[in-house]
Amino acid sequence: MSLDAFIAERQGRWGALEAAIKTAKRGRLRNQSASEIEQFGLLLRQTSSDLAIARRDHPDAPITEYLNTLCARAHPLLYRGRAWRIGAIGPFFATALPRSFRAAWPYIVASLGLMVIGFIAGWLAVDLRPDLRASLVPPSLFDEMARGQIGTGVQDAPFAAAFIIQNNIRVALICFAGGILLGIPTALVLLSNGWMLGTVAAAVQLGGYNYQFWSLIVPHGILELSVIVISGGTGLMLGDAILRPGQLRRGEALARVAVRAVMLVLGAASLLIIAGTLEAFVSPSSLPDGVKLAIGGTVGVLLYSWLLLAGRQPGRRRVPWFDRPAETPA
Amino acid sequence: MNSSQLDTISVKTSDNVTLGYSVAGLGSRLVAQILDNLLAVPLTLVALLLYGAVASVFVTGSEGAGFADAGAGFFAGFVYFGYFFVAEAVTGGKTPGKSAMGLRVIRVDGSAADFGALAVRNVIRVVDVGVVLVGIVIMFFQPQTRRLGDLGAGTIVVRDRAVVSLAAAVAPPPIILRTPDAGPPIDGLDRIGGFERDALRVFLSRPGLSPKLRADLAADIAKRLLDRLGLPPGAPERLWPPELFIERVYLQLVQLYP
Repeated sequence: MSLDAFIAERQGRWGALEAAIKTAKRGRLRNQSASEIEQFGLLLRQTSSDLAIARRDHPDAPITEYLNTLCARAHPLLYRGRAWRIGAIGPFFATALPRSFRAAWPYIVASLGLMVIGFIAGWLAVDLRPDLRASLVPPSLFDEMARGQIGTGVQDAPFAAAFIIQNNIRVALICFAGGILLGIPTALVLLSNGWMLGTVAAAVQLGGYNYQFWSLIVPHGILELSVIVISGGTGLMLGDAILRPGQLRRGEALARVAVRAVMLVLGAASLLIIAGTLEAFVSPSSLPDGVKLAIGGTVGVLLYSWLLLAGRQPGRRRVPWFDRPAETPA
Repeated sequence: MNSSQLDTISVKTSDNVTLGYSVAGLGSRLVAQILDNLLAVPLTLVALLLYGAVASVFVTGSEGAGFADAGAGFFAGFVYFGYFFVAEAVTGGKTPGKSAMGLRVIRVDGSAADFGALAVRNVIRVVDVGVVLVGIVIMFFQPQTRRLGDLGAGTIVVRDRAVVSLAAAVAPPPIILRTPDAGPPIDGLDRIGGFERDALRVFLSRPGLSPKLRADLAADIAKRLLDRLGLPPGAPERLWPPELFIERVYLQLVQLYP
């Protein structure tokens, strides 16, 4: 078929496909009816086949470039993952998040290990080097202990909560994002968080304020540290995918892990809103220490029953945009 | 295709047809980034002003003011980075800056970037922007101009604009003629037809031929045409310069077979 005849015979459908691309709003075909979408698929397949013919018969003709661009613009409109919908939030927290938490356990254990190493190192540093104590622990803590009260009575608790929540979300996201740099920043964040907790805990232990101190830490700390450990785990997942991609190319291994990891870290980071609220309103409040510890214990039991037990029934309530079918290696 | 292999990615579709996407270059990516900053930075400043107004009304003590001040920095960061995430999630991979530059985020398999992929590339943006220049340096050395966030999310930024319009692609290429005059009628044109007309059009529309090469080719074609037309040895057409002869044959053929 000559080029002119080829174009004359088929340009109608190309124009129709071009018009259909223009009606797609915001990169989606959502506003189109089922029959229009079916028609779109038909047009795209026909135009793809025209592109294949044009490539073979007229490789240098401008029409080949035109058809390629046309198909390239139409293809992502039709081929896409399931859309994110507000209704998927429920199943995500009910099943998908606990499942990916359990699937990520080796990384989360490693993340916890790093934090524990930091904690022990911090504790030992304060314990063994009294001369460095003043530079390792905020001096105000010793003042407060000398006055017989630590960390009580935060003014403007809502702003404290906002500050704490935002800071912790920032730390969680940095833990995840640091995974792209082989997880090195992630490991540093985990070690330094463990270190800070260790130094303060050791100083409080020396000052004899154990019970009061833990009543200040535990109500929010279980939730907050768990989220930081989970976030650290997601960062380590990325780093591990880069270092040990297995049969895949590094980029593919990374991208495959990253989407699951980011949903885990975003889901976990949303818990920080609860943690920050507890930290600003409950931990420094004048409630009896026993009540505070009880609140912390309850939060911890709820958190881990959810993370370890929810969504164990196989196949129930899958989250369409999250539980993607396993992709076959290219 | 004009573009080299380096700045296109090939995607094999489920219809077993290979699509070529042209990858956005570092320049257009940076211009898009600057355009987005023209929106994101004022947005962040406005959000900070609102935050400050709320804080000045509700903060009561010095400790609260400290928290409010420290929180303001984080808040600004969330608004700034949130702009890119929300803009990409709402538009399916085109922030206003990318849209202005005709760029779009897709996944490397050619499908649309979904929520998860956009979340990954926008959280990792913190590293790309936050660690000095790392995103730009990686984009400079990465053959497909992907930054760390793109590598993590399996996405790529491509040109989304129609390069060739249908009208331009369908229009016949311009004919290079020296004389627009069809000349005296040539005998024997009924022996050739549309095929020869198309072949002559290809020859006459070829740009960039050196004059010597064009003359050589024309002499060769004219010789074959003269034989095909069966013109007698003494015919005046045999004395015309070959290029003139070809042009006249073509112009008369177009009249015969429009």
